[in-house]
Amino acid sequence: MIKQAMSKPSGKQGAQHKQAFDEPLWWGLFSAGGVCFAVLLPAVILFIAILLPLGLLPADALSYERASTLLFSVPGLLFVGAVVCLPLFHAAHRMRHGLFDISVGNDALNKKLMYGGAALLSIVALGIVVAGFFS
Amino acid sequence: MDKLSSQRLPPLKRNWWLKHRFFKLYMLREATVLPLVFFTLCLLAGMVALLQGAESWQGWIAFMRSPIVFVLNLLALAASLFHAATFFVLFPRVMPLRIAGHSLPDNMIVAGQWAGVVAVALLFFWLLGRA
Repeated sequence: MIKQAMSKPSGKQGAQHKQAFDEPLWWGLFSAGGVCFAVLLPAVILFIAILLPLGLLPADALSYERASTLLFSVPGLLFVGAVVCLPLFHAAHRMRHGLFDISVGNDALNKKLMYGGAALLSIVALGIVVAGFFS
Repeated sequence: MDKLSSQRLPPLKRNWWLKHRFFKLYMLREATVLPLVFFTLCLLAGMVALLQGAESWQGWIAFMRSPIVFVLNLLALAASLFHAATFFVLFPRVMPLRIAGHSLPDNMIVAGQWAGVVAVALLFFWLLGRA
């Protein structure tokens, strides 16, 4: 999809085209998040959101003690980075472009809301792991 | 695209993508992130519950068992697989791999990525699936 006029030139003689220095960062996070979403999330959703509530996992597989030990650790921090943070930026990017596609809101504001929301939730998620690690 | 293009092209209507199958599939692919965000919020709630204590953790599992949450998470599983199917075919186009002078066939690169999905599922089975 070619996003023409994603950033509309301001004024009639919009000669000073603003350099989109941040776009490679968003596209990079988008594709890293896309890989995590595709490779990791099917298994994560299957085990945590389908098999666990159905009671199909062994009783102590994700007991409170086991789940705490697994999550509040260095591998747990990496898990959250790959399963929560990167896919959140992937989702933020797609939602920003999706809103542009159906002409909802304005892109400058959507951009701040979407990436800001992803960053905020990422910090919360990583903060929970760190807090659990030290408690 | 030059900076005046927006003035030459008539603005698109909001339903432009409903007019062609290709664009509908494009929008469906974009929409796969909506159930993903729902699952992510569920997961964050679970992490908060785990931080709060054993009782909250059991409460969260009960919440995950409620029919609407469960169905939306089933949708998230389907969305993640659909996203994977659309994302994996991009890899050989963005980064064609060459081994010893021969370019690796596209379907092998795609198959390799599906093998990655299976490997992660096996890792989870090893971690959580055994009694």
